[in-house]
Amino acid sequence: MPAAPTSSAADVLRGTLDLLVLKTLTLAPMHGWGVSQRIQQFSRGVLDVNQGSLYPALQRLEQKGWIESEWRTTENNRRAKYYSLTRAGRRAVGDEAANWRRYVEAVELILQVS
Amino acid sequence: MPTIKGIRARLRALLRRDAAERELEEELRFHIEMETEKNVRMGLSASEARRRALRDFGGIEPTKEAHRDVRGRWLEELAADTRYALRTLRRAPVLAGAAIVTLALGIGANTTIFSAVNAEILQPLPFANPSRLVMLWEENPEKGWHEEVCAPANAFDWKEQVRAFGDVAMYFEGAGQSTLTGEGAPQILKAGGVTGNLFDVLGVRAQLGRMLMPDETWSASGVAHSVVISDRFWRTHLGADPRIVGRTIRIDGQSREIVGVAPAGFSFPVEGIDFWRPMAWKPEFRNQIFFRRAHLVRAIARLAPGVSQQIANAQLQTVVNQLKQQYPATNKFMGAGLTPLHRFLVGDTQLPLLVLLASVALLLLIACANVGNLLLVRAVGREREAALRLTLGAGRLRLAKQALTESVVLSVLGGVAGVAIGIAGKRVLQRLLPAGMLRSSHFDVDWTVLGYVLVIVLGSGLLFGTAPALWTGRRSPAESLKEGARGGDSRRMRRWTELLVVGEVALAVVLTLGAGLLVRSFQELMIVDPGFEPRGVLATQIVLSGPRYDSTAQQRLFFEELIRRTAALPGVEGAAVTTVPPLAGTSYTSDFVIAGRPTGEYYTEITHRSVTPDYFRVMHVRLLRGRVFTPADKLNAAPVLIINEQIAQKYFKGQDPVGQRITFDKVPNDSSQWSTIVGVVAGERQRALSAEPLNETYIPYAQEVQSGVSLMTRTSGDPTAVAPAIRRIVGELDPDIAISDLRSMETIRDASLARERFLMAMLAIFAVVGLLLAVVGVYGVLAQVARRRTREMGIRIALGSPIGQVRWLVVRHGLGLVSIGVVIGISVALVTTRGLTALLYHIAPADPVTFVAIPVLLAVTGVAAAWVPALQASRADPAVALRSE
Repeated sequence: MPAAPTSSAADVLRGTLDLLVLKTLTLAPMHGWGVSQRIQQFSRGVLDVNQGSLYPALQRLEQKGWIESEWRTTENNRRAKYYSLTRAGRRAVGDEAANWRRYVEAVELILQVS
Repeated sequence: MPTIKGIRARLRALLRRDAAERELEEELRFHIEMETEKNVRMGLSASEARRRALRDFGGIEPTKEAHRDVRGRWLEELAADTRYALRTLRRAPVLAGAAIVTLALGIGANTTIFSAVNAEILQPLPFANPSRLVMLWEENPEKGWHEEVCAPANAFDWKEQVRAFGDVAMYFEGAGQSTLTGEGAPQILKAGGVTGNLFDVLGVRAQLGRMLMPDETWSASGVAHSVVISDRFWRTHLGADPRIVGRTIRIDGQSREIVGVAPAGFSFPVEGIDFWRPMAWKPEFRNQIFFRRAHLVRAIARLAPGVSQQIANAQLQTVVNQLKQQYPATNKFMGAGLTPLHRFLVGDTQLPLLVLLASVALLLLIACANVGNLLLVRAVGREREAALRLTLGAGRLRLAKQALTESVVLSVLGGVAGVAIGIAGKRVLQRLLPAGMLRSSHFDVDWTVLGYVLVIVLGSGLLFGTAPALWTGRRSPAESLKEGARGGDSRRMRRWTELLVVGEVALAVVLTLGAGLLVRSFQELMIVDPGFEPRGVLATQIVLSGPRYDSTAQQRLFFEELIRRTAALPGVEGAAVTTVPPLAGTSYTSDFVIAGRPTGEYYTEITHRSVTPDYFRVMHVRLLRGRVFTPADKLNAAPVLIINEQIAQKYFKGQDPVGQRITFDKVPNDSSQWSTIVGVVAGERQRALSAEPLNETYIPYAQEVQSGVSLMTRTSGDPTAVAPAIRRIVGELDPDIAISDLRSMETIRDASLARERFLMAMLAIFAVVGLLLAVVGVYGVLAQVARRRTREMGIRIALGSPIGQVRWLVVRHGLGLVSIGVVIGISVALVTTRGLTALLYHIAPADPVTFVAIPVLLAVTGVAAAWVPALQASRADPAVALRSE
């Protein structure tokens, strides 16, 4: 049984987080903390990733087969779980980004009406 | 869309639940540490940095929970529910045991029967591309033929002229009897007679050497030189010699070359064939009239590539119509058609199998109702637990799911035990199955069967689990806690159990009525007068072959001597020979003309049999008019015959047939042989006890000799006692003659009813089990009712009600439930038993005797089941009863 259906607003947010995570991982394989730092950094501090949803999101993306994980040691010689994009994930980034742009355009159009 | 990697991640999460938890733990710890370090770098104190990192993270446990949700909680829940179910079942071992045993028996019976259905009906024939094979048959409205064997000349014309047929092959139905000599004592072998192309048409290849070749259908000498042996014969008789190809063996006094060994497990057209020989027809037969008149072969066609059956049939009809015009003497009314081979071969085994499958399905449903009731009663007993959990915040759905899980766990346990029972049952079934009832007695519990079992296991789990699950899920906690104080019984719950009991009684009625009809039909068969007296008669088949018996005179002399010596044995009252023994089918049929009737008038379909003079005395066939044959009815004496009463009634109404003359020709000519009717005898059942006697004529054996006969010996005591003496006599007359088993005519009669007996016995067993289960169900519910009313009864008794009247209260309740069930069962059965019509002899599918007797039986059993709890309840001391609860 998959996760219970949620409201459409939550779907949007979740979809956004997935896209952000995927996009971040296009740069290089990264651990969870690194992903959250990068998103904060790229959005110039505007977006703050809720850790409570980041790790479930990573798990979800892994189940979709878009990312895969591997335990590695960091530069500081610590063990961390690194996530990297799979080939399917790379394709998904493009699709998801396009979806996002369409969504933004649509919202923008509506905002211009008033 | 899940990808391979995604599925692997899921599986990993599933299989390594603990590892996944540890990984997550470590991952989150790493995150906090990194965040702490970052905070330290920004100038916070170590403890403040950690505190803030934790705060920013916003709670580790909720994150873990969310993570678990994604990972797939339902499986964890399922695992937990399953563990919980196993634990609770272990705590109630009697209930669990009863439920599992009931289900295991039901599922086991289904496994066994379905494995036979699967092999016989569902699996494709073991030939290459079997869906392209069709059976060709002939029909003739004038003679009342349908799907009959073909005349070889017609089949050859179809083969040559119907382009939609890739090829047409022919074979003799059943197995021929041949004698093997030169390999120890002479033995009887089962022979398959086939055209040389049969194996090509079926697509069967030899495991050693070759199968037969198309050109071997024909032989200028009329003798078949090559044979293909079966795998079984090769192993049992020839030691599986790998260099067997090319060796010769003596069959029927002639040496034949073994050209190949058929693949293991292959036997066609019947089980247990030892070897196949080509037809070896002489080429000139092709244009002779008998080749078109004698209907003696089955014909199989393989459709040409890409041709549909409809097209093939249309082309066949065109050729058939041409043949009607071309050969009016034989083909004027001869039609033909085709049927997919599989459907044709499954033929009449399908109905008995489906009846068996339906009965075990009913049995399983009854078992499910019982188990459902058990669980329901327990669900009520556990109501307070459920209510408490609801109050503490457990979801209703979750509770219902848990109850359902318990049912499915039960049914899976029952299913595992059931498959074991089913496999054992399969072996028993294979031993009990009457020979020839199925195409092949080899069937297995394969993946298809296991798939079916899985479906019925889950299906029954859901079925009997629904009531308790709905029950658990629906109750409001307040109601339950309140009622719980009164022992957890309620009207609504009673409705459920009563519904189940009514249902199972109805199912048991249907099952028992079906079985009852078959039992009645079997009784009818047992009292059928077959037209002869089987008791005290020994029968054996003897076939003369080889050069020593080339002439009919030699054959006749052999049998005359055999009869003379056998009749002289002590304890033997008489011996005779017949070319066709009763209950073994018929030989050929023919048209005939009666002297003195209008020119051109002819009749069809009378069968022929030659017998020696004592036959009627030996078999106790009643002579109705005229005389039986005497030794004076010799080869050169005036041709005579005896007819059975069926012919007399149909063709000599109001006349004395004795003294009239008939000839077996449609259009008599100068060379026609006219025979005088000298007697009329009572009809013997030739094909089966259930089949009315056919129109039959008897001819003196001396006037129509055949090499294969049955020797019938009437004895004063046990007929099998003279068997060794007969064997000895045959051995003395010719040591190279093998004789088949000497069986008493009673054994043969019983064997002819083997299918009917088998089906009746199986259904009767299922019905008894179903009935017992239903009675247990009725008892269970009434025991509940009685317990609930103990207090009420106590009051009534204390106030002076007669005990009998008080007991009647409970019994009436039971009778009410049983009556509803019986009425529903009867209405259903009135429709469903129509499906049995083809299996019933002299009994209508709505036979009033059965439809009265069985419901009465059920009602009586139901009352008996109700009586026990009524007795117990009313015996209770009123004082105790009043204080109870």
